[in-house]
Amino acid sequence: MTQPQRPARSPAHRYRNALWLLTLRDLRVRYSTSFFGYFWSILDPLVMAGIYWFVFTQVFARPVGNEPYIVFLLCALLPWMWFNGAVSDSTRAFLREAKLIRSTKIPRTIWVNQLVLLKGIEFFASIPVLIAFAIATGATMHWEALLFPLGIALQVVLTIGVGLIVAPLVVFFRDLERAVKLALRFLFYASPIIYGLPDLAPLGLEQLAAFNPLSGIFSLYRAAFFPEQLEWFAVAVSAGMSVLILAVGVLVFRRTERAVLKEI
Amino acid sequence: MAAADATVITVTDVGIRFRRNRRSRRNFKDLFAGRGRRSRPSEFWALREVSFSVQSGESIGVVGRNGQGKSTLLKLVAEVILPDEGAVRVDEGVAPLIEITGGFVAALSVRETVYLTAGLHGMSRAEIGARFDEIIAFAEIGDFLDTPYKHLSSGMKVRIAFAVISRLEEPIILVDEVLAVGDKAFREKCYRRIEELLAGGRTLFFVSHNERDLRRFCTRGLYLDGGKLVLDAPIEEVLERYARDTAL
Repeated sequence: MTQPQRPARSPAHRYRNALWLLTLRDLRVRYSTSFFGYFWSILDPLVMAGIYWFVFTQVFARPVGNEPYIVFLLCALLPWMWFNGAVSDSTRAFLREAKLIRSTKIPRTIWVNQLVLLKGIEFFASIPVLIAFAIATGATMHWEALLFPLGIALQVVLTIGVGLIVAPLVVFFRDLERAVKLALRFLFYASPIIYGLPDLAPLGLEQLAAFNPLSGIFSLYRAAFFPEQLEWFAVAVSAGMSVLILAVGVLVFRRTERAVLKEI
Repeated sequence: MAAADATVITVTDVGIRFRRNRRSRRNFKDLFAGRGRRSRPSEFWALREVSFSVQSGESIGVVGRNGQGKSTLLKLVAEVILPDEGAVRVDEGVAPLIEITGGFVAALSVRETVYLTAGLHGMSRAEIGARFDEIIAFAEIGDFLDTPYKHLSSGMKVRIAFAVISRLEEPIILVDEVLAVGDKAFREKCYRRIEELLAGGRTLFFVSHNERDLRRFCTRGLYLDGGKLVLDAPIEEVLERYARDTAL
């Protein structure tokens, strides 16, 4: 009896491999089906940034943010696109991949993690746009740019946490898909993207806003060009909230996984 | 390599329940109640108190009428669904021929599809590369390597899927009634491939309504009825009992 034995591969290795394959698949689909490919993933934030730049620097006398405003905007807008894209796509994660989930045994968290990775890669791909604007407007970079990776790490934790909560629950409560869309739109204005955290101080909302985990994360990104935007209190709260949300996410996911697999 | 008489699949007191009515309301409490909660009237047990174990190299046919839990059992063994009671233990790698054409992406080419599918089932790039020609030859799809998947006929899709999964080199093979599709010649080719794998010492788990196929591949039968494992015996005996039960 000769049975060719494949070298045993650790589950972690297999997981990483699958994660990479799925991400590559989605990137490939995007680039093979659309002519502009990469361009689309930066066009969206660019158009948005253009609109806000026009409204807040040309139409209104702008009392918020820092100069150059376009760089100030992009510092938070680009990571927001990552968060927004990953969370809104995770509402459809299980439904979209139902057939694959029913036929392959891969730990189910991969369907959320894959989206966070995919959107994260698109975020990285859009960073050159930020750099280009920074150079064009002559914005100066400070040592706080070293905090960028910390912002990324926190955002990964937060986004995976939210995805793990949203993805399984949408399978049972379809209304949640629309609720999430609405919540994201609200969160866009409730987070320091078109304004900065210090702009909320006169309103007395600064402390409250710190409990939005995105506040601390965006302040880390912004500190690269605008050190006065860095608020360690908000960063600390955001770190705590992100870890808490991830813990809740893991719990929700574990508890509902059995039912999700039956439902799809 | 496991010894020839090693137990590879252990199913202990497994039960799984489904909702009778898709539209019946869910509430949060139910969802988070975990495994311990009591069954509700709107649910039924698709399988209950099912126990058996499979030795390495055995070939098992699952027999039963429609809706008696055959496919559910296969999915439990593939670990793509999880039991509400009991435990399923699978000690070796599994090549599942379940819903094999599922999850293919319309825009990808045949070549990309092969790499993706085999990769998701745990093969490394180098392994796939080494078997690529073999897979393509088996699927008889050599002229369409760069054709987008969506332009293939449904027969071609099944051929690719079978060619990939049957080349996974996993010690356990699960076959649901996938081979009902495809023309006669290809079906025969698939069956020969399964026999080849069996001769190589693989463990087979086979769900079918076709008595001839069951006799051809299987030595042991599991007869499911009403969500229970009614009989676990040599295949001839199981088929006889099944024929007796279903006779009018």
